[in-house]
Amino acid sequence: MSSEEIVDPTLQHDVSVRRVLIHLVLPLFALILGILAVAFIGLHSYRTTRAGVKALTHELLGAVQHYIAQEVSDYIMPAAAGNIVASGMIEHVPVAVQDKVFYSYGAAMLRSVPQLQSFYLADDSGHFTLITRGKDGKNQERTTLQERGGHKVFHHDYFTDDGVKIGEADDDAKDYDPRNRPWYKNTENSTDIKWTQPYLFATSHQFVMTSSLRFKGIDGHTLVFATNISLNELSAFLDHIKVGKSGNAIILDSKGRVMAGRHLMQQAEAAGWDPNKMIINPKTHPVFARGFDHYRVHNFGPASFELNNKRYVTIASPLPNSSEDWVLLLSAPESDFAGFAKQSSQQSLQFAGVIIVFSLVLAALLIRQVRRSERSDRKLRAQASQITRETAAVQQVAATPHLFDPANDSLVLTEQLAHLASAHRASVWRFLHDGSAIICEDSYDQKQDTHSGGFEMSRSEMEDFFKAVEEGEAFTAQNAAADTRTAQFERLVMREVGTHGVAVYPVHGANGVIGTLVLEDAAMAPHLLYFVDLIASVAGMRLASLYGAHTDTPEGASISTADKLHEALQQAASLPATKFDNMLMRAPQTGAVQSSGIYPAVAVLVITFSDPVVDGGTETQGVLDLINRIATEVQRIAIESHLFAVEVAGHRLICMAGCTEHEDPTALIRVAEAALTMRETCMGILAAANLEPVFTMGLDYGAAFGGAVGAEPQVFNLWGQTVSVAELMAQGAADAGTIQVTERVYSVLRDRYLFRSRGAFFAPHLGLGRAYVLAARR
Amino acid sequence: METRNVGPVLELNKAIPSFEESGLPPVPFSMRLMPGECAVVEARDASRATIFADLCSGLVPLNDGAVKFMGLDWTELHDREVNALRGRIGRITRRPSWTDFLGTHMGIMLQQLHHTTRDVNDVVAEASRLSEQFGLPGLPVLRPAMLSDADLLRASCVRAFMGRPHLLLLEDPLEASPADLEDAFLSAITTARDKGAGIIWLVRSNAVGQRYWQGVTSRWRLADDGLVAVRMG
Repeated sequence: MSSEEIVDPTLQHDVSVRRVLIHLVLPLFALILGILAVAFIGLHSYRTTRAGVKALTHELLGAVQHYIAQEVSDYIMPAAAGNIVASGMIEHVPVAVQDKVFYSYGAAMLRSVPQLQSFYLADDSGHFTLITRGKDGKNQERTTLQERGGHKVFHHDYFTDDGVKIGEADDDAKDYDPRNRPWYKNTENSTDIKWTQPYLFATSHQFVMTSSLRFKGIDGHTLVFATNISLNELSAFLDHIKVGKSGNAIILDSKGRVMAGRHLMQQAEAAGWDPNKMIINPKTHPVFARGFDHYRVHNFGPASFELNNKRYVTIASPLPNSSEDWVLLLSAPESDFAGFAKQSSQQSLQFAGVIIVFSLVLAALLIRQVRRSERSDRKLRAQASQITRETAAVQQVAATPHLFDPANDSLVLTEQLAHLASAHRASVWRFLHDGSAIICEDSYDQKQDTHSGGFEMSRSEMEDFFKAVEEGEAFTAQNAAADTRTAQFERLVMREVGTHGVAVYPVHGANGVIGTLVLEDAAMAPHLLYFVDLIASVAGMRLASLYGAHTDTPEGASISTADKLHEALQQAASLPATKFDNMLMRAPQTGAVQSSGIYPAVAVLVITFSDPVVDGGTETQGVLDLINRIATEVQRIAIESHLFAVEVAGHRLICMAGCTEHEDPTALIRVAEAALTMRETCMGILAAANLEPVFTMGLDYGAAFGGAVGAEPQVFNLWGQTVSVAELMAQGAADAGTIQVTERVYSVLRDRYLFRSRGAFFAPHLGLGRAYVLAARR
Repeated sequence: METRNVGPVLELNKAIPSFEESGLPPVPFSMRLMPGECAVVEARDASRATIFADLCSGLVPLNDGAVKFMGLDWTELHDREVNALRGRIGRITRRPSWTDFLGTHMGIMLQQLHHTTRDVNDVVAEASRLSEQFGLPGLPVLRPAMLSDADLLRASCVRAFMGRPHLLLLEDPLEASPADLEDAFLSAITTARDKGAGIIWLVRSNAVGQRYWQGVTSRWRLADDGLVAVRMG
């Protein structure tokens, strides 16, 4: 019934949901929250660190930029400052010593300041003097522009660094006029230092730039002092400077032309030694190009951007003491500065990961622990419930009357065993006194709700099973067919109902094992606490007394059912011939029953046939033939069983025995035997006619009264509760072809026949009573 | 043999019904009904008997105490479980309880069709069998209003015994009933008890059902001072 219910109210869903919530969802939720918190903190920390690192990077870059700017300034300073110093010196000396002062100053500067390449001095009348380093970088060369024979020549004097003249030479100056040179011209109308565009000396691979200053000499002539400074040294310096780990610096002018920087010469070569074409190339210097773009948009200051999936920072700054439009550009990958931050973040993430893993492990342990304790709790509850169930079952067993009376079938034992163990079948087996065979006292099939018993298995059939039971230890076989101890038992007993597992509990008596309890497919058998032992003890006491009763019987005095029947028939041989009444058979002969009266122990069998459905004469004749055949057989069986009378009333047959003044103990046995034979015969006849069993049988035993009634030929009739109850049994039989009997019949015949309980019933005039189905002979 | 439930089928543990809601005296009601037991409760007032059956079904609010059916406290269950649990109760009541827009057969089978997954054919077969047992020629299909009082009483019996009820609250159907109903009724309650059902048989007087008194396990009287146990003689 419960399994058919849509909602099982005994299942506490809300509790389960709450339990799952508390034991599973909550820890998981807390864990996820923890993970999210750790992740959030990690992310926040990463962002904060990154912002800090960015600021730090900018500061560092700023510091580097200051340093480089200072270095560049220091590099250029001698040119700019030298112009001022030299011009100051020259403007105050007489014209005659101007050259001398110029050479002295130039020689001293060339010796001490390596980046300075040469000095020029020119005046407005076209004089031109130059001092420069020798081609080998040592010694000095002094050049003057002279006019000889109408031609302009450069006269070169070569001196050592110590001022010793070591040679001289002339070469054609063509139409060289210093006043047309850019360094001269760009000082016009200005007293400030002016810088020329850098220009390349392809021969010397020098990238040179000139600073010049205009001043007036003591004689009133305008003089221009110029200093050539090599940018190669500046590039070499910038080459060596490291910004961060892998960043570098470059100096550009406002048009993006490279003034100094890494690989300057290669760039110059690529540009065909034309400084104007040395514009920064995004292909070769993508980072600087992007940084320069940022400068052009945002002016001086730091910028950060991503290029090729890598973040860079650049900083653009002006260069003091240099040409006005020069820009110092520094660039470095952000990772050079933020590397440690990234590492720190990674470590934080790793720590977070470790914490999360630990949390997961702890959560899993917690859940496992909770589930274990819950399981234990469930187990305890189940055990408590099992104890309650077993106690209830014990109470039910204990309340059974005549529990220890072996003459009384205590069906409750196997029923309760089967229920408690959830077994398909539970049975009690008893050893014969000599141990040669084992007899099933009672076997209860829970699925079919039927009892059976009386099977006998000899030792020769199940030697291993006998031995295993006789060892006295309980044992279980999950697959009885595969276990040598139970294989034969499985084949002979279990296979018919299709059970696989078996649990065997030997029953101990005073002199060893006297029987066994067998549970088939008992799912709950391992969980039974004490009930099996208790039932085994009860069964032991029952079997022991039975065993004693049997052993008390002299050897060979055991009488089989067939013998009992034979004996009963012999005893009944002296009884009057069977009476057949009404239209069935012969005229009534009252026989030994001379008077009407009360018969104390009459066995009444009522056979009820369902009404035949006939359609047409042929069928009617067929049914009549069938009825005739059945009637003839009933007559025969009745005579053989020495029944007292057989009556026919409509579709009912009433067979009776024991209509004597004194109780006839054989009457019921004879009627029961006749009932079984009649059932078998009727079923055979009906089956031969291709018909279903269309009859039910009811049997009762008790007092009745009757007698021959009416004028000759008299008819014998029987009344009383026994007759009506037998009719009731026949009408209420469970299935067609079954013999339903009352509790009275069962109590008399239970030793001889197998019965199946149908439960308790209320019968009018009788009250409560149990009904049984007579199944077979034992 | 039915596996019996452990513990009482019905337990009234000092249950004090709300007087305002029920009209029952606000005194503690205590009673235990084990599986297979049959308790006869004598109630002179038919409406009070009905309210008492309501109390057992968890339909009456309590001021105190508890009413437990199959170990489950009515007040601690959710509606879904409460309704399912009531599906395990068979009841014959004097209160009008038939829906007149459905045929009687639907009224009889509704509980089984609603609460269980049983096949309709099985339910119909059982209803037909019970109908015949209770003296109806078959499963009544007319609307309840079209049936005679006696047949409606038989139909009530059929409805109460449908399925396998764990508790039967029977407001005496034998009173003023056809004589042939008694045997069927007693037979049905015996079968139900054999299957483990607990029975509360509410009678107006002890004269009813005298034949079955031998099978009664306890007797009670519903009076102004609550539920009083009556000594069984």
